[in-house]
Amino acid sequence: MLWHKSWLDTRWRFLIGLALLTMSAFGIVLFHPDLMQLVPLASTVQGNGAFGRQIREGAELMRDYRGYIWSQWFQQTPTQLGTLFATLLGTGGLVSQPFGGGELFMLSLPASRNRLLGVRAATGLAEWLVLAVVPSLFIPLLSPAVDQTYSVGSALVHGVCLFAAGALFFSMALLLSTIFDDVWRPLLIVLCAAFVSAILGQVARGLSPFTLMSGEVYFRTGSVPWSGLITASAASAAMVYAASVSLARRDF
Amino acid sequence: MAEPFIIETADLRKRYDGVEAVRGLNLQVPAGSIYGFLGRNGAGKTTTIKMLLGMVRPTSGRASVFGLAADAQETSVEIRRRTGFVSENKDLYDAMTVDEIVRFTASFYPGWRPDLQQRYLRAFELPLHQKVKQLSRGGRTKLALALALCRGARLLVLDEPTSGLDPSMIEEVLQALVSHVAGEEMTVFFSSHQIAEVEQIADHVAIIDRGHAVLSGELDTLRERFRRIQLVFDGDAPQMAFRAAGVVRVDRNGRVLTVLSSAGADAVLDEARALSPVSTDVAPVTLKEIFLETVAVED
Repeated sequence: MLWHKSWLDTRWRFLIGLALLTMSAFGIVLFHPDLMQLVPLASTVQGNGAFGRQIREGAELMRDYRGYIWSQWFQQTPTQLGTLFATLLGTGGLVSQPFGGGELFMLSLPASRNRLLGVRAATGLAEWLVLAVVPSLFIPLLSPAVDQTYSVGSALVHGVCLFAAGALFFSMALLLSTIFDDVWRPLLIVLCAAFVSAILGQVARGLSPFTLMSGEVYFRTGSVPWSGLITASAASAAMVYAASVSLARRDF
Repeated sequence: MAEPFIIETADLRKRYDGVEAVRGLNLQVPAGSIYGFLGRNGAGKTTTIKMLLGMVRPTSGRASVFGLAADAQETSVEIRRRTGFVSENKDLYDAMTVDEIVRFTASFYPGWRPDLQQRYLRAFELPLHQKVKQLSRGGRTKLALALALCRGARLLVLDEPTSGLDPSMIEEVLQALVSHVAGEEMTVFFSSHQIAEVEQIADHVAIIDRGHAVLSGELDTLRERFRRIQLVFDGDAPQMAFRAAGVVRVDRNGRVLTVLSSAGADAVLDEARALSPVSTDVAPVTLKEIFLETVAVED
């Protein structure tokens, strides 16, 4: 029943995220023919600045379907919306229950704080895994509708990269939610951290979680970014552990 | 062997940001008692209860429930498995319906009592399909109490169970509590600042003020021990410092000297005879007076 409660706590965040990401995936695939008509225009963009260079690079990538999917989908919507929803799924929990209260009621039940946190973390991560993988899987499923193909394996690898990097934001939100009494500070702090790491990514791409999130290494080289996946997973695990320590020390 | 005391604390302390909420609390709650934990707002009642249930970690001292340490995570889970709790704010999970929260709570307790569940849901007229957040204050209190009573618990811990209720609802809740306890072998530890309700149902009482117990014991014994002795003199009442044990307070008012004793009247009367009062009168003291006097002494 703890699982059920955890699901009740997070279901709307999860369902809204799933709907938005899925609609976005549908749009990216189904609008492919229309967007391809704009590619020649993008190629003519003048300017030597970073912005002009990015547009021309994007147009270049869009010349093949795999490049189009990566530049228009994996590099954009899931990293932006995904960061938001991974963070939203990580906020709340025992200390700051945004929907329904009941922290003393929960604490009066014969369940350890570790168990409460563990169930909350597992539910949130499972939901984030679905958000990261399922919309991506619609791409190979829908691609035949626009006379294209996309490999299920590629979609899965990108989904896993998205999941591992997004789990960093989820775990950070989970940790901060054991420290602050409200849902807003964890949310804002994590989103600020994401913003800073996005800027960092412009300078040093390897240091930004968004590089892993978009699966850029896999897209460009075809090899799975194991070191990034392992590092992100270890950092997430460390933050979940820190959350359990923080929760154990907390007075209610 | 059953523990003689279900709850024991020794020099229990809790400090929050420089403020000592509980200061060296010593309590012994006998098994099978209905124990009223009486104190003013902010006296440390809720903090004590939270320490007993592992929601707050003591700064120092010891607290045990069923002989198990209250501040260790594993034993705290076991304590909560055997305890029903109602928080002051009747904290429940608002997003669930009554039916859902009953099933949710039941899933944690192997000794959950479906017979009591049926009885209390019917007696308290709780609408199964209504959301908890839509319940009235009274409905919420009844639901919280029903969830605590059906756990098959050996201990009920109630933090201000009747706060915010109207008199008829208070009566209904207290009656339900008393009749439940009469039929089950259990201990009730409840905090309150409502002296009348403590007097109505408790057989033991502790008065807590500024974080420590200023008085505790069996209610009848306390009533026996506490006496107000009035001495009337021919002229102005003399200044007198009584040596008798248990003198709580001495008031001089014109010809009248009033002594409040917590150790009966005999020793005070023996001592007062030397002053040759023209009349003496010994009167029992109500719990309200005991409370006000002991708390006033602290002030």
